Formats: sequence, C-alpha cells, structure tokens
Amino acid sequence: RAVESQSEGQCAPVDSLWRRYSEFELLRNYLSVTYPHIVVPPLPEKRADFVWHKLSADNMDPDFVERRRIGLENFLLRVASHPVLCEDKIFYSFLTQEGGWKEMVSETGFQLKADSRLKALNATFRVKNPDKRFTELKHYSDELQSVISHLLRVRARVADRLYGVYKVHGNYGRVFSEWSAIEKEMGDGLQSAGHHMDVYAASIDDILEEEEHYADQLKEYLFYAEALRAVCRKHELMQYDLEMAAQDLTSKKQQCEELATGTVRTFSLKGMTSKLFGQETTEQREAKIKVLEEQIQEGEEQLKSKNLEGRDFVKSAWADIERFKEQKNHDLKEALISYAVMQISMCKKGIQVWTNAKECFSKM
Amino acid sequence: SAGAPKPLPSSGPKSLREMPHPLATSSSEEMGPALTPSPDLLLPRSIADKDLSLPNGTPVDTSSPASSSSLLNRLQLDDDLDGETRDLFVTVDDPKKHVCTMETYITYRVTTKTTRAEFDLPEYSVRRRYQDFDWLRNKLEESQPTHLIPPLPEKFVVKGVVDRFSEEFVETRRKALDKFLKRITDHPVLSFNEHFNVFLTAKDLNVYKKQGMALLSKVGESVKYVTGGYKLRSRPLEFAAIGEYLDTFSLKLGTIDRIAQRIIKEQLEYLVELREYGPVYSTWGGLEIELSEPLEGVSACIGNCCTALEELGEDMTDDFLPVLREYILYSESMKNVLKKRDQVQAEYEAKLEAVALKKEDRPKVPTDVEKCQDRAECFNADLKADMERWQNNKRQDFRQLLMGMADKNIQYYEKCLTAWESIIPLLQDKPETK
Repeated sequence: RAVESQSEGQCAPVDSLWRRYSEFELLRNYLSVTYPHIVVPPLPEKRADFVWHKLSADNMDPDFVERRRIGLENFLLRVASHPVLCEDKIFYSFLTQEGGWKEMVSETGFQLKADSRLKALNATFRVKNPDKRFTELKHYSDELQSVISHLLRVRARVADRLYGVYKVHGNYGRVFSEWSAIEKEMGDGLQSAGHHMDVYAASIDDILEEEEHYADQLKEYLFYAEALRAVCRKHELMQYDLEMAAQDLTSKKQQCEELATGTVRTFSLKGMTSKLFGQETTEQREAKIKVLEEQIQEGEEQLKSKNLEGRDFVKSAWADIERFKEQKNHDLKEALISYAVMQISMCKKGIQVWTNAKECFSKM
Repeated sequence: SAGAPKPLPSSGPKSLREMPHPLATSSSEEMGPALTPSPDLLLPRSIADKDLSLPNGTPVDTSSPASSSSLLNRLQLDDDLDGETRDLFVTVDDPKKHVCTMETYITYRVTTKTTRAEFDLPEYSVRRRYQDFDWLRNKLEESQPTHLIPPLPEKFVVKGVVDRFSEEFVETRRKALDKFLKRITDHPVLSFNEHFNVFLTAKDLNVYKKQGMALLSKVGESVKYVTGGYKLRSRPLEFAAIGEYLDTFSLKLGTIDRIAQRIIKEQLEYLVELREYGPVYSTWGGLEIELSEPLEGVSACIGNCCTALEELGEDMTDDFLPVLREYILYSESMKNVLKKRDQVQAEYEAKLEAVALKKEDRPKVPTDVEKCQDRAECFNADLKADMERWQNNKRQDFRQLLMGMADKNIQYYEKCLTAWESIIPLLQDKPETK
C-alpha cells in the first residue's frame, strides 16, 4: 500500500518521518485501551463518506487524500494538546522513532488489557446502578451521532442541488452569446452579460470545496461521539464487573453461612443432590467452608479495589468529559461561525455577479 | 381653392396633438366647415421642417398652434409620441370573478383617459373579459393586415395543472392584457382603429360584436388581402433579413425559456433539501445546552433563505417567463404578416407579368394591377415602419426584463446576506460563566 501521510515531530530529534494510516489506527487503539477514562480524539474517516455526487468516493482521489492528511495532522495535534495523552511515551515515539515503533507498541501488551470484544460490544448486559451522568452522556452521544449523521447527509444533498442550480446558469452564457450575434444595439450588452453568467456558473466549485472543510469539522465530532460512548461503556463494564463481583461475594457468603449452620435457605442443586445422595461428612464440609472463607476474603479485597478503581475512573473520566465538553462547544461554535462566513462570502459573490450582469443589461 | 387656408378654430391654447387629425373621418363640431387641405399643402414629410411660404408667396407664421406649418406637422403620420404629447392612456386593472350558472370567468376593468376627438368623452371605464380581448385582436388582424398586432397571453390553460382563478395567474394575465392594450395605444395607426375605440368605450361589447359588418367604415377597411397560391419570385433583401432574424430570434427565446424553466426546477429541488436541512440544526440545538442558541440561529437563518428562494422562484415564474413567451408568440404572428406580405407582392408580380405578356396596345397599366402595386408598396411601408418600432420596443422590453431578472437575483442574495450577517454576533456571543 502506498504511503499515505506524513507526520511531523514536535521538539524531536528526527523532524519528520513517514507513517501509514494503519499505524495511526494502531496508535489510537493503544491510547483507547491504555486510557479508557479519556475521550480519545478520533481519526478521520478511512473511506470517503457523505459525498455529494461531484466529489469522488475514490480513496485515491487527491482532494480526499489531502483532506485526510489534514485530518490526521489534526488528530496528532489533538493528542499533543491533551494534558494526559501528550505525556505518553508511545505517542512520543510515534512522532520521533522511525523503525521498531510497532514492536514497541506490541511490547506494551496493551492488547491483553483490551476488554474482550464480546463484553465491550454487548450493550445488553444490565447494570443495576450505573452513574446517572454516564447514562445521560451515553444517551447524548447516541443522539449526537444520529443528528450529525443526518446533518451531513442532508448537507451533501443540498450541495448537490446547489451545484446544479449554478451550473445551469452557464447555459445562459452560451445562448446570450448566440443571440447577440443577430442583434445590433443589444448585442454588446447581451454578450458581456453572458460572460458574467459563465463566471457565476464556475464560482460554485470553489464555494463547495470550502464547504467540505466545514463538513470535516462536523465529521470529527461525529466520530468523537463514538469516543464518548466508549468511555461510558467502559464505566458500564466496570460497574457491571463490580456488581457481578459483589453478587458473587454475597452468594459465597451465603453458601458459607448455609454450610456452617446447616440450613438451606435457598434452593440449590447441591442441596438437592446432598439430600438425595446423602450429606457430606463434617470434614468435607469444613474443608469447603475454609475454601469459601478464603475466597470470601479475596473477594472482599477485590471488591474494595474494584470499588476504588470505579470511583477513580468516574472521577478522572468526568474531568476529561468536562474538558471535552468545553472543547466541543468552542470548536463547534467556531465551525458555525466559519460556515456563516462562507455563506456571507457566497452571497456577496452572487450580488457582485448579478450586479455586473445588470449593468451589462442596462447598456442594451 | 388656392386661397390662404382658414386658421383652424381653436377654443384656447391646446397642444398640437390635441388638435383633431385633419384626415380623420369622424365628424367633430370643432372642424367647422369641411376643411380639405388643398393639394398644395399635401407635401411629403421631409419638407415639413423647413421654412415655408404659401403658394401665393405669403410667409408662414410658425408660432401659433393654428398656423399652417403646424398643419403640416400634423400631416406627419410617423410621429414619435413622448410622454408630454400623449393623448391616450389605457389601463387594465381590478380583476373580478363572476360566477354564473353556465360558467365562471374573470373580468378586468379597462380605463381610458383621452383628449382625442375620436372619443366622445374624456374618460371611460368598462369591464372586459379575455374573450373580448381575443375578439379585438382578431378584428385588428382583419382590419389592419399590414401591421404587426401585439400578442395576447396564451388562451388555453391546462385545467388540471394551472388554476385559472389563482391570484398569481390572474395578475400575470392582467399585466399581459395591460401590455397588449398599451402597445396598441402607442401605435400611430392601430390606436385609431375603430374596433379599438369601441372596445374601450362600449358599455355592452356583445351588442357591437353582433352588429358585425354593419359598422365597418368606408375606406380601406374591407380590403381583405385575400390572395392565394401566388409564388414569390424573390424576396426583397430587407424582408428576407427580417424573416431570418425572426427565425433565429424565436429560436433563442425558446432556448432561454427552457433554461429559465430548468433553473426554476433546480432551485425548487434545492429548496426541498434546504427545508429539511434547516430543522436538523434546530433538533441539534435541542440536544445541546450552550450551543442551543447558535444552532437555533442557524436553523432560523436557513429558514429565511428558504423564504427568499421561494420568492425568487415565484417572481421568475410570474414575471419573467410570461413576457418571454409573449415575445415568442409575437414573433410567430409577425412571421405570418411577412408571409402575407410575400403573397401581396407575389400577386402583384404575377398580374404584372400577365399584363406584360399580352400585346401592349394600351398605354396605361390596368387599374387593378395598379391597385396591386399600391397594396404591395403600402404593405412594405407599413411593415417596415412597424418593424423599426418593434425593434426599438423589443430592445427596451428586454432591457427591462433582463434587468428585472438580475434585480430579483440580487434581492435574493441580499436577503440571504442580511440573514447570515445578523447571525454572526449571535454565534460569537460568549455565554455568561455559570
């Protein structure tokens, strides 16, 4: 596969080196696993999506490649400006170390830490007491993803239609020119007006090219929604783990108690079988109790540390989420402003062209 | 008589154009004893401007309106009417719907203000429906076949597609009917047509329509250029040029019509998408807290652009396309007049040739061939004059039409610009720190 992008090191001994898209993906996966409480910046899209018909959906298209390059650069800037992520050694090596970076990453063994696919994607496990803020945030990220997708899809259709409107005006240019040939006094005015119609028709290409940058800004936050959801799911997972561990501990304690007192409070298959096939000997029972007591102690320690982990996670994750929210509000506002500025520029160009045409008509 | 012409009776200072046309056949009291300009005074137009003396040597006083040179001026048939000397004003307005047992139709008020002697009153107000305009146009074509008659807006509308009683349709038609009458008013010959006069003045036009032939006046009107089957040898260059011009002209207009329609269609489809686009920002705004105002603002802004675009489409449909189509119809009817001219010329040439083939024992050309020659020459002269007038009016009409189109587009972009500019401060606004 051809080399797709170039990155630049920051304060590094080696100024620049070559990285493939797949290496960017590896970096991001590593960061996501290593810092599950951080809303990790997303990568730009791998394949062209939300295209309107004139833009090619071809990944080798130079415009697409250029926009992806900008996206990757943006990704690195995001990571570099993150208070936690920027300190990461693997990130630093990504920017500075040419060879052997991949090996370095696999040596961290981060893949082992990654939550099993099944657990991570399974949204149907039931968490009894999740932190409400995370539940709301997950809901928000789902909605955000949905609304931005919708927006990008409609925007692409709008761009398509606008393109059509502008281009048809080019036909005026041709017919005015033909018509001017048979006119005497009107001829010059018609001819020059026709030229302005051609200018108008041509102007849409640059206008829509600029708008793609706005679309890219929206796309970044579309993908950020996914990163946000990942943090929420991590919390859910941890909470689920915690609840399962607590549940397990409770049941073990119960078993222990039952064995010690000899009462069977709850139905259990073991209980049934022991009734049917005879009870255990005292030695067997006491051995079991001992094992259970050990397990209970282990379990209580684990529960304690899991609780601690959970609370730490919530705290640090929420801090980053607050940071992310501010960044998002700031960035999206900037994006909207630049979009409005683009629209204003488009309107001014339109006024200019039609004013010029009007003057030509007035000279008819 | 070869004596000094009597000064025209005058009831006070009047503009030249207010004086009755000496060649008019109406019997106005102001004319007094029948004034027939002596043959000496029937001078060709080009001389009218120079200093004159009467045949008996008396110098001509050119200062007072009643003087002879003013008489000469009035003999100029090719007058340019500017606003100050216009003596006939016609307007079409006030459409009203009439619901009858048999049918429903619209009538328009036709208001006339005039100082012309051909009209008994200085003001008239009558109500006319499209049928009446159509009748008038047919009568004009019949009675003035050598002239270019302005077009009417399309007669038939597909009932299912267009609402004949919608405000937009009625207004578009009204404007076209108004233009139709104004073009006739501006024409130095057509405006004096008797049918036109009746159209403007009669309380009940149907009575007049039924009388039909009975009211045809004496001179020239019943001349029907009924010719047929004569083959034209060669068309004079200038009329051939006109024919070619009209062919290309109507072709180009047709293309422009198609382009304009296509643009309207594309803009409509763009509008459909925009109408979905705007509300998504609003939905998003409902999801956010700090960004809700900016997002709502963008949504409202897009909504304003939608309205502006809708207005642009309506304007183009109501104002631009109909005028374009009118001119295409105009070209078609003009081409028919050209064909008639060809026929008249062909008939004359055929008859002339027939005479030439016979033994020439008569010194004079037979009168009916002479009549044909007159007819052909009159036709050519009328048509040529009308073409010049038409070309000039066409230039002005298209100048106005195209400038109007540019204006509508400028207004559209200005509305959008205002909307987007007004939202910038809203977007840049820093929220109060909580």
